[in-house]
Amino acid sequence: MMSDLSALTQAVIKGDAKTAVEETQKSLDAKVGIQDIIDNGLISAMDEMGDRFSKGVIFVPQMLRSAKTMQECMRLLEPLIKEGEVTTKGKVLIGTVKGDLHDIGKNLVSMMMEGAGFTITDLGVDVTPEKFAQKAQEVEPDIVAMSALLSTTMPAMPDTIRALEEAGVRSKVKVMIGGAPVTEDYAREISADSYASDAGSAVARAKQLLNVS
Amino acid sequence: MKPIDIPTLQPKLRVLGREQALAIHGAALEILEKTGIKMEHPRGLEMLASAGGRVYNGDWVKLPAYLAENALRSAPREIALYDQQGNKAMALTGGNPYFGTGSDTTFTMDLETGRRRRTALKDTANFARLVDGLDNISFAMSMSNPEDVPVADIYVYAFAEMVKNTNKPMVFIADSGRDLAKIYEIACLVAGGKDELRNRPFLLNYSEAISPLRFPQNVMERLLFCAENGVPLCLPSGSNAGGGAPVTLAGAMALGIAENLAGLILHQLAGRGSPFLFGPNVSVLDMKTTVVSYGCPEWSLTQAALADMRDELYGLPVWAFAGASDSKVMDAQAGAEAMFSIITAMLSRCNLIHDGGYLEFGNTSSLEMVTMNNELVAMSRFFVEGIPVNEGTLALDAIRRVAGGGPGSIFLMDDHTFEHFMQAQFLPVLLDRSRYDVWEAAGGNDLYRRCNLEAKRVLAEHEPDPKPNGVLREIDAVVHGS
Repeated sequence: MMSDLSALTQAVIKGDAKTAVEETQKSLDAKVGIQDIIDNGLISAMDEMGDRFSKGVIFVPQMLRSAKTMQECMRLLEPLIKEGEVTTKGKVLIGTVKGDLHDIGKNLVSMMMEGAGFTITDLGVDVTPEKFAQKAQEVEPDIVAMSALLSTTMPAMPDTIRALEEAGVRSKVKVMIGGAPVTEDYAREISADSYASDAGSAVARAKQLLNVS
Repeated sequence: MKPIDIPTLQPKLRVLGREQALAIHGAALEILEKTGIKMEHPRGLEMLASAGGRVYNGDWVKLPAYLAENALRSAPREIALYDQQGNKAMALTGGNPYFGTGSDTTFTMDLETGRRRRTALKDTANFARLVDGLDNISFAMSMSNPEDVPVADIYVYAFAEMVKNTNKPMVFIADSGRDLAKIYEIACLVAGGKDELRNRPFLLNYSEAISPLRFPQNVMERLLFCAENGVPLCLPSGSNAGGGAPVTLAGAMALGIAENLAGLILHQLAGRGSPFLFGPNVSVLDMKTTVVSYGCPEWSLTQAALADMRDELYGLPVWAFAGASDSKVMDAQAGAEAMFSIITAMLSRCNLIHDGGYLEFGNTSSLEMVTMNNELVAMSRFFVEGIPVNEGTLALDAIRRVAGGGPGSIFLMDDHTFEHFMQAQFLPVLLDRSRYDVWEAAGGNDLYRRCNLEAKRVLAEHEPDPKPNGVLREIDAVVHGS
């Protein structure tokens, strides 16, 4: 079984979607469990890529190519996953705050977290505190992640935390923030649970917050 | 008859051929014609539609090429910026380069401790005052994101603080029409009225569309206000290669130029003939760290190419950057990157060249960097002035005198040297050429330390011409009032 999954892992690492999807199908045909395929075929590949990336050995486009390859495999698996059958590292609700339209950083964080095995719900840009709170009630995430690129839109972050409190969900989630003008101190000031300076450390912080590896 | 003066060639850098320029321009027009832009300001969208734009998918509008050509023709080819006392200070046209600082840095390097800390309003003041006291820095920007003022009016506070600490021209940031109106009010108080400000503007607004092709409502509010009131404006989107734009430089330029042309079209519809400084920011998104680089050779290359496109096609003065670094401290990397961008910006004749003094890709401002840049600009300027060749500089008489003057006869003693040396040579102040033992006895300081001491000296000794108390009181009323 492990040797089949290693071919899948290699294909994901190389960013070879065609082979990766074929290998995924082969594993399914060989009756390998879906959780097994995800954990030992896909996430293990992304963990390896994440490790290489943090060491500066590979570049972002290569990292993202592998993430896209994993997504292709997940597309094959998703229709076969029954409710509650597969566990993920955690659920993340992410968006760029109200009044802010910048999304490159947020999109990078989403892709890297997905690659690391988190389930992402991306609300896009210009997300009001009310929308964050409403979706948090609906989706029941483990982490609510907010991004802002403008110092003038940062106040939407404490506003959103307040909205989460009013909706009665603040204690059920961990709040992570990021973006160019955001700092560790600011996160402390507004009682966010964590700050991350880039997509790579966002994944590391998320794992820390949820006590997963 | 006196011989005709030999003209001095002033070295200039060309990086783009005519065909390349036409192809990039053509690609920009194709982007506007076939994809268009997302115009999120309702009145802006109406105006573009009335002028011939084709609206689709709600707020997307395709713009035919003739709209861009018309706008390029009606925008002024020179933008004159004045100082705050009404004197013409910056002729933004043709090949005139002017260097200045940058805006919105979250952190600064503390002058006393040498440590990085959050910026406060006193930093806005210090950077403005330093610029005021440095001969080769032509304009001021905030170099701060002050944490000790209400964030909703952060740009109003920053503008007022700069006005109190310098009389040089300023490039400023605003959030929306709301705070821009307050900043405009302050500017009118300084200039002595709306007409006076329109005739002798000392300010230029820096706004950004969002690449790719997105024009947010609050940004368009500012564009329309500036167009209608004749406040000079630039609209460089962050069309960074691999970030908001394609990773290949030609495509990134085409996209950034398309966005600029779209902004220019609306701008000229709102205020025909109002000043518009042309050009996108085309740096790179670093492929390992995902930061937008402020030390990369690509940005220097694309802005040099933009200057060539100005000369070939656009005729409008262009926006650029120089004197910045990705380094976290002012070290050899900072010096190398700053010099690279300064000399190339000067050689390629960019016009309004900002972000001098940036460290950490624009997150941190450094008074020492600004001080160093002052000298690097002078050094580059010397190079770009070329070598004047005439009877005086050929110095045949002096050569005859010294060569034929017997033992003890040296150029150093000759009148010719005395008369010419101050113009003939670049005279460094901070770049040190002393002998080892002299250098050691003076403290053995490196350039960073010398710049630190010089920045402290300028801040301690330089007093900008003060504004009248009445004006200062009125400015405070605008900042703190209604």
